[in-house]
Amino acid sequence: MNQSIQIPEPASPFPGIGVSSDQGLLQWISSVDHKMIGIMYLLIALIFFLIGGAEALLMRIQLGQPVNHFLTPEAYDQIFTMHGTTMIFLVAMPAVLGFSVYFTPLMIGANEMAFPRMNSFSLWITFFGGLLLYFSFLAGGGPDAGWFNYSPLNEKNYSSSNGIDYYAMGLLLTGIGSVTTSINLIVTILHYRVKGMKLNMLPLFVWMVFVNSFLLIAAFPSLNAALAMLLLDRQFQAHFFNTANGGSALLWQHLFWIFGHPEVYIVILPPFGILSEVFPVFSRKPIFGYAFVAASSVAIALLAFGVWAHHMFAVGLGNTVDAFFSASSMLIGIPTGVKVFNWIATMYGGKIKFTVSMMFAIAFLIEFTIGGLSGIAFSIVPIDWQLTDTYYVVAHLHYVFIGGTIFGVLAGLFYWFPKMTGKMLDEKMGKWFFWLFVIGFNGTFLVQHALGMLGMPRRVFTYPDLPGYAILNLISTMGAFLMGLSVLLLVYIVYKSIKNGKAAGNDPWNGFTLEWLTTSPPPLKNFDEVPEVKSRWPLWDLKQLKEESRK
Amino acid sequence: MMKLVVGTEAMFFICLILAFIYMAYNTGFEPHDMKALDIKTTGIFTVILISSSFTFWIADKNYQKGKIKNLKIWLIITILLGATFLIGQGEEYWRLMNDKITLSSSVFGTSFYALTGFHGFHVFAGLVLLSIILVLTFFDDFNNTNSNVISTAGIYWHFVDVVWIAVFTVVYVLPQFTKY
Amino acid sequence: MFISIAYFFQIILLQSVENPTSYQAEKINKLFNYFNIAAACMLLLVCFLVIFICIKFKEKKGDEREPKQTTGNKKIEALMIGIPALLLVWFFYQSLTTMHAVASPVPAGTEPDVIITGHQWWWEVDYPKANVVTANQVHLPVGKHLLMEMRSADVIHDWWVPELGNKMDLVPKINNYLWLDINKPGNYIGACSEFCGAQHAWMRINVIAQNENDFQNWLAQNSKDAVVPTDSVAIKGSEIFETQTCASCHRIQGTTATSNVGPDLTHLASRTELLTGLMKNNEENLYKWISHPQQVKPGAHMPDFKYEKDTVNAIVHYLSLLK
Repeated sequence: MNQSIQIPEPASPFPGIGVSSDQGLLQWISSVDHKMIGIMYLLIALIFFLIGGAEALLMRIQLGQPVNHFLTPEAYDQIFTMHGTTMIFLVAMPAVLGFSVYFTPLMIGANEMAFPRMNSFSLWITFFGGLLLYFSFLAGGGPDAGWFNYSPLNEKNYSSSNGIDYYAMGLLLTGIGSVTTSINLIVTILHYRVKGMKLNMLPLFVWMVFVNSFLLIAAFPSLNAALAMLLLDRQFQAHFFNTANGGSALLWQHLFWIFGHPEVYIVILPPFGILSEVFPVFSRKPIFGYAFVAASSVAIALLAFGVWAHHMFAVGLGNTVDAFFSASSMLIGIPTGVKVFNWIATMYGGKIKFTVSMMFAIAFLIEFTIGGLSGIAFSIVPIDWQLTDTYYVVAHLHYVFIGGTIFGVLAGLFYWFPKMTGKMLDEKMGKWFFWLFVIGFNGTFLVQHALGMLGMPRRVFTYPDLPGYAILNLISTMGAFLMGLSVLLLVYIVYKSIKNGKAAGNDPWNGFTLEWLTTSPPPLKNFDEVPEVKSRWPLWDLKQLKEESRK
Repeated sequence: MMKLVVGTEAMFFICLILAFIYMAYNTGFEPHDMKALDIKTTGIFTVILISSSFTFWIADKNYQKGKIKNLKIWLIITILLGATFLIGQGEEYWRLMNDKITLSSSVFGTSFYALTGFHGFHVFAGLVLLSIILVLTFFDDFNNTNSNVISTAGIYWHFVDVVWIAVFTVVYVLPQFTKY
Repeated sequence: MFISIAYFFQIILLQSVENPTSYQAEKINKLFNYFNIAAACMLLLVCFLVIFICIKFKEKKGDEREPKQTTGNKKIEALMIGIPALLLVWFFYQSLTTMHAVASPVPAGTEPDVIITGHQWWWEVDYPKANVVTANQVHLPVGKHLLMEMRSADVIHDWWVPELGNKMDLVPKINNYLWLDINKPGNYIGACSEFCGAQHAWMRINVIAQNENDFQNWLAQNSKDAVVPTDSVAIKGSEIFETQTCASCHRIQGTTATSNVGPDLTHLASRTELLTGLMKNNEENLYKWISHPQQVKPGAHMPDFKYEKDTVNAIVHYLSLLK
């Protein structure tokens, strides 16, 4: 007997929910509704994506020609630092958390997150952290020691502007936002699932969000500790990292990478989850190897804490230490590879529909494989000894960050936009965006593998006119501009589709999971009734049941 | 939820403790600095902090049995014990600073003050939390026993205690057995 | 489209762009080539599968059937885990043997052949066994098992000459080591590969590998004191050098100038480049540098002294005699 469960109303309305919808901006700012907060996270990600992208284009103009004088070295150093910091903390994190916060309650049949007010707090402290970081430009100069900010370069005597202090404080704030959101997500997933949805029946997106949240709350403290120590050094003359007085340059690197490596898994696991939803829906068959995909994410989360020193192979830790981290880094490649093969196997034998969302998902497979393979190159220590800190790394990281995280987020955007807004994103223009973005992206970064192998180090504001450098850098710059143009097209597509896109209906893709049960966009109270869940594809079951009762 | 908060803060303290140990073995601490630590007095204050955990546990038990008057009494005692610990820490800091051991005087100073300082700050935050709860008990907010606020606060308070045991062991006790 | 991108990538990977000219570089290059082949195969496999599946299983119009709802296959999972794992085990073994060949542990008490100290943004080069100190251009003998010691005077730098093999960080307060066996003489360029501040991009490396005889000759030449100036302009230049601020940062062996805040200038005129790879070494460039350092290499620790033209000419003239 398939029972429907009534979703209870809260005893008294949450503050902020009583604000009526014609109070415009006030409703948005004061909202504790997880859907509005999710959308605001995505808007923050978009705005900073444009800013970070502009920073990238400035860098590429400077690097378009050898011995260029478009930017001074000091300006370049601030720009490349802010580009990295912005993209990771103010684009990737909010994008991933935005989707997590919006769709987790919907996919588990809940009406809200566990702590709606803390949800709002997390959003705004993230935003203010970003503003504080950017305020540095108005307060004497941005941080200029790179996004990973190595010591002793990050100490006051080598970096005298206040930029790095703003970096530290801004990231402490955004970090608080991320950790509180993760705590919120974990409690929501543990306690707010609809009846019958056991943990091994969670939609894979929710499962990834769940594992990811644990990863996040375990990893951020290391960054917080490092930033706190840095502030003590810079403002109170402590001696954590200043080598002249007994501090340790390597301590920073250890603390930073103990955070930094899990961080990259933090920004990739939810996109893995998005893909695990997109592939089944657009192949019309369930995910291949659910248990393996779920288990591999746990493996990745655990291993993530055992690989950090692969960022430090050239630092002189010794062959034994290097070998250990080499082994663990190779090991972590296996669960990731398993996922890629499972997604391919999901498509095999299916009925593939090439929506823009699916196109990004398929493109991800190839781009992320390229990024993953170049990553494995680095796990082989002697190869790392040649290629670390070169443009080969820049290529690798952009293939996994853009080809992985961003492509996953874009697949999610095109998949879930109808649910969030009630309108379809224009598929035809979307396809144009897809091809322009993919060509631009590969044009920018594929050649950087070659630049690294030719000997070009990273984080240089210019380079000598050596054979091959000029032409490859020029191609990279042209690719970057193509990417930039395509992103502008994306903004236009989103704007136009919101204004007069085709009406979407509840379930435009014939989905398998609970978010498609409710209206598009969902009402304030997501569900009135949810069917008791008996399998991993509750909506599919419900539709089958309806089919049968009609016959 | 508090368990998750405790989890994340525990990672933070692990990082600080590891940094302390790293500094001890990498750069090394001055014997003069290490000898300045007063293990006996701090040991007494450690016992005081541990007993505050015990008194909180008693307060919680009373709350669950509905004995609100006892809840208030034992909460007050817990807060007083916690405050005493902080005063003791303050005295240790005062003495060390008079001995010219500060945050910027040496690597030991840096690691010591950061580690114990952040712990002290967490104790202070805990005292604020307990005081708010105490005030609310006087407003009769906890007359019913169906709230889990007290036990949640307990998780945090016990955590602060456990961290101190770890810090005390690493900073005061273990050096007695090693080269220091 | 994808096919072309993927193949292009594989072609790049299969080119061994680095021209290995040391024992270390050759060993690493061999491993890198194995890796590239394996990675190319893996990528080809993924591309092929994706393209094949997209074509074969594309949704056809009017097809209302539901595809077979397979949920998994333990055998295939085992293969997908097992085959990469075996490959990785092999690469790990290769990695270990290459690491041992290239970077074997340094026995305690071994005296290094060269000590490189990284400064913001130049290289101090010390030959302890011969008591020679120079800067920036590093002469090394071919065919010897050299031990290089890496130190830093300020922030973290990194020594990397791609053709000569692996890189090594220069970390303040830590001595790192690099073994180097160069195969043939030549000019090898590299760059500092750890962001070290404003002029990181112009901390280039120039290794001049010479056969044993030539190297010993060069060493002997460089152990000599600086040329003593004989003409009036040069004498004026050397006086200005020693009495005004130059001597507080730069060393000229045989004079009272002994500081190592800036590069050693004893045999400056024999170097082919200035400013760690930024400019060619000639009088014109030297003049530009000394007149307005902050315009030439902004951020460098040499301030604009605002000397008169004559002063600069004298200094330039003196320095260009220092072979």
